[in-house]
Amino acid sequence: MEPTKFQVKVYTKTGEIELEKLVPVFHQWIREKKIPDELLIDVADYAHVPQGPGVVLIGHQSDYYLDVADDRPGLLYSRKRGFDGDFQAGIDDAFRRALLACKMLEEESGLDFEFETSEVLFRVQDRLHAPNEESTYEAYEPALRRATSIFFGDSASFERVGGPREPFAVRIKTGANASVDETLARA
Amino acid sequence: MTSWKEQLGDRIPEPLAGEVDLFEGQIELKKQGKLDDKIFAETRLRRGVYGQRYDNGLRDDGTGQKPLDFPCGDLTKGPDTVWDAPGMMRIKIPFGKMTADQLDVLSELAEENSDSILHVTTRQDIQLHFIHIEESPDMMRRLAAVGITTREACGNSVRNVTACEYAGVCTTQAFDVTPYANAITQYLLGHPDVQDFGRKFKIAFSGCEDNPCGLVTFHDLGAVAHVRDGKRGFRVVVGGGLGAVPVQAKVLAEFCPEEELLPLAQAVSRVFARLGEKQSRARARIKFLVQKVGIEEFKRLVAEEREGLRPDERWTAFLDDLHSTDEKPIREPGALPSDAPLGFQKWAKHNLKPQAQEGYYTAIVKLPLGDFTSTQGRALADLAREFTGDAMRCTVEQNLAFRWLSGADAVAFYQRLDALHMAEPGAGTITDMTSCPGTDTCKLGISASRGVTGELRKRLTLVEDQLDPAVQRLRMKASGCFNSCGQHHAADIGFTGVSRQVGGRKVPHFNVVLGGQWTENAKSYGLVVGAVPSKNIPKAVELITQHYLENREGDESFQAFIARVGKKEFRKVLAPIQKPPSYEEDPSYYSDWGDPREYGIGDIGVGECAGEIVPFVEFGLQEAEQQLHDAQDALEAGQAAAAAKGGFTAMVTAAKALVRHLEVQVKDDADDVVSNFRTHLYDTEIFHDPFAKGKFANYLLKMHGDKSFEDANEETAHRALDEAQLFLEAAHACYQRLTQAASAAAAE
Repeated sequence: MEPTKFQVKVYTKTGEIELEKLVPVFHQWIREKKIPDELLIDVADYAHVPQGPGVVLIGHQSDYYLDVADDRPGLLYSRKRGFDGDFQAGIDDAFRRALLACKMLEEESGLDFEFETSEVLFRVQDRLHAPNEESTYEAYEPALRRATSIFFGDSASFERVGGPREPFAVRIKTGANASVDETLARA
Repeated sequence: MTSWKEQLGDRIPEPLAGEVDLFEGQIELKKQGKLDDKIFAETRLRRGVYGQRYDNGLRDDGTGQKPLDFPCGDLTKGPDTVWDAPGMMRIKIPFGKMTADQLDVLSELAEENSDSILHVTTRQDIQLHFIHIEESPDMMRRLAAVGITTREACGNSVRNVTACEYAGVCTTQAFDVTPYANAITQYLLGHPDVQDFGRKFKIAFSGCEDNPCGLVTFHDLGAVAHVRDGKRGFRVVVGGGLGAVPVQAKVLAEFCPEEELLPLAQAVSRVFARLGEKQSRARARIKFLVQKVGIEEFKRLVAEEREGLRPDERWTAFLDDLHSTDEKPIREPGALPSDAPLGFQKWAKHNLKPQAQEGYYTAIVKLPLGDFTSTQGRALADLAREFTGDAMRCTVEQNLAFRWLSGADAVAFYQRLDALHMAEPGAGTITDMTSCPGTDTCKLGISASRGVTGELRKRLTLVEDQLDPAVQRLRMKASGCFNSCGQHHAADIGFTGVSRQVGGRKVPHFNVVLGGQWTENAKSYGLVVGAVPSKNIPKAVELITQHYLENREGDESFQAFIARVGKKEFRKVLAPIQKPPSYEEDPSYYSDWGDPREYGIGDIGVGECAGEIVPFVEFGLQEAEQQLHDAQDALEAGQAAAAAKGGFTAMVTAAKALVRHLEVQVKDDADDVVSNFRTHLYDTEIFHDPFAKGKFANYLLKMHGDKSFEDANEETAHRALDEAQLFLEAAHACYQRLTQAASAAAAE
């Protein structure tokens, strides 16, 4: 299994988000190279699309979305290419990068964002190698369990979600309620 | 399964499978430094793989241009185009027609390879952005498996053939143009006569003269359906175009009988390929050729070319089954309910149109800025499966049309759309603006056309119920630069991005263009009134519409009003908002809508709309080199017969390229190529080497005659490849001599 095309979404505590506020923040992240080990390229604004990808910070290796799909805003980390490590490390890294981005957004003074850690969505955008079916779940479940254990403790429960035409997705109830900062510190 | 190629297997039809394999091979060759930058750029463009803003590896972050340090280093995918930089894939949807299965796959690709957004263009394509070039072959395979090709979606080729989204269901059409648009699409796709253009070539069909959907008058070639004495045909126009200098197409044929449509298009293509400008891309569209020689001379040239065409059975074969493109409704017809909910009534007013077939309607799903998500795409595919069948069409106004909706299902359809947040009313009204990508992703964008369009949509949607019906009916369109992809010339109120220098800083502006006519196939273009700072465009719309409402005479249309009062009066109306405040007074004017960076034009790159001007012969010689390379690999793998055959094929390919360079029609089969090669290059001694004379040509002629490659052993295969190598060298030398001779003749 290739450790690419992983997505991790961490939801915001507030349901209403002023997406336009994200645009200058993401531009600033590019200008100041706020994520030092990633090449950040551009900002795509899809605030006009209901339940869409929101505002996207486009990078070379990864994209960072303030995604509003299902009317549930959240930070969606999406790895596209170029991970140098094994499968488990790839999953761990996706969780870590998503949480780090949440932390950075929480620290942006103009945003007033807060993320919750009780629920996370994990997806793989690779229908060839990870179709949304039980066998994929069986292959991913141990690594997901190890990753969630690192960040959230051992009481997480998993549910595979979506139909066969949708990407492989697992909704993770972490059983945790710590802040993003505490969650990262734990790992 | 480890690859899409294996997974899809024979679900990828030939020749698409072979074409994608070839493109994948060319990607590898480019990475190895074995393909020229310009040739590779035009190759990928002709596969729909397009450049995007910042792909030169530089981006202005608001404080100055900064390098984007992509990991690929010096590797490029065209002149000044960095390999790793994200690009756009343009996916041709001929006449906008899409099936549910196709929409599913498009939605998958948007999620896996792009940013989950599908964008409908003003020419009925679907575009996906932020694509890495190395992912494009698998994307093409997945598309091919559902009958979609990206071939010739960009580059100097025949672009997507467009047609009214109501074709076949329209109440005013002469007849359904769909089978004709389909026939011309299939016939010209990859046709040898359309491979050597100096610029792109756009074709559009319309079912009638009066309604707007086909917009043929601003196309390179347009066909409007007519019936004369009971016989089907088309009024054919040529040489239309937008851009900096919009031109109305001229009538090429008042009535072209249906059986003459394809040969006429082929003859026009051959004249364009032969006489069109090839050096200056700014003057290379066919409109400049028509202007240069005059329409009467152009008609004569086309008629002469038509006379000399070899008959092709495909010209008329499609006429035997004009119903092959018909759609079959999956639900019984029915009447609209008399007690429909208010929300439905508001939506249906502009988004639902009765079809010619009683009890059926076409529903327009209004897309904000032409965008929808992968999740919405799957849900829309489900709606098609449930209510309409495979009868979706992308529209030139960047929406989606669902045809064959039973009136009895209309409310349920609306409610399902509403649940998807896709039941926005007002299709075809002032809130339904179209826009090109502008500075969001286009290398040529000057101003943020999507930004200003988004802002206007937001503001107008809030007040649309209070707008006077005469204002509601207006169409607004925005282009980020003078290339006019937003089709602003044909709008009541159009905008085109320009930059102005104020107090030592740049300020984004839009030229305001008033009074363009969308109806009658975009019969007339608007007048440029003047440039307004981008941030004042909402105010400009308010002033323009207010002035119209207060000063119109009776039911005077907007176009008639503009024509009567002239642009001078509107200059006065806009004068108070044309000068931006100083930076110190209001710095917001110095950045564009949706982009907080201080505005600049340093990010404008070299557009790829024009493609790279690479003569067809160079593609042919390159293809021959590839075939010889593959043949050498086969020999190393111990496949002597395959190697020898490959060497022969490489010679035939090179010979065909040279024959075609002499403007001789030639088929793909080896016998025809060799026969023409003998007549036009060997007997005339054009191919002869100054020292070796006809020696290298004889390698081809002999191998064609004795078919020695059929029973080749390792030794004879080796010799065949040596001969093929020498033949290719001679072909390159011959091409150089021909080019030098042409240059010398031109200089004289």
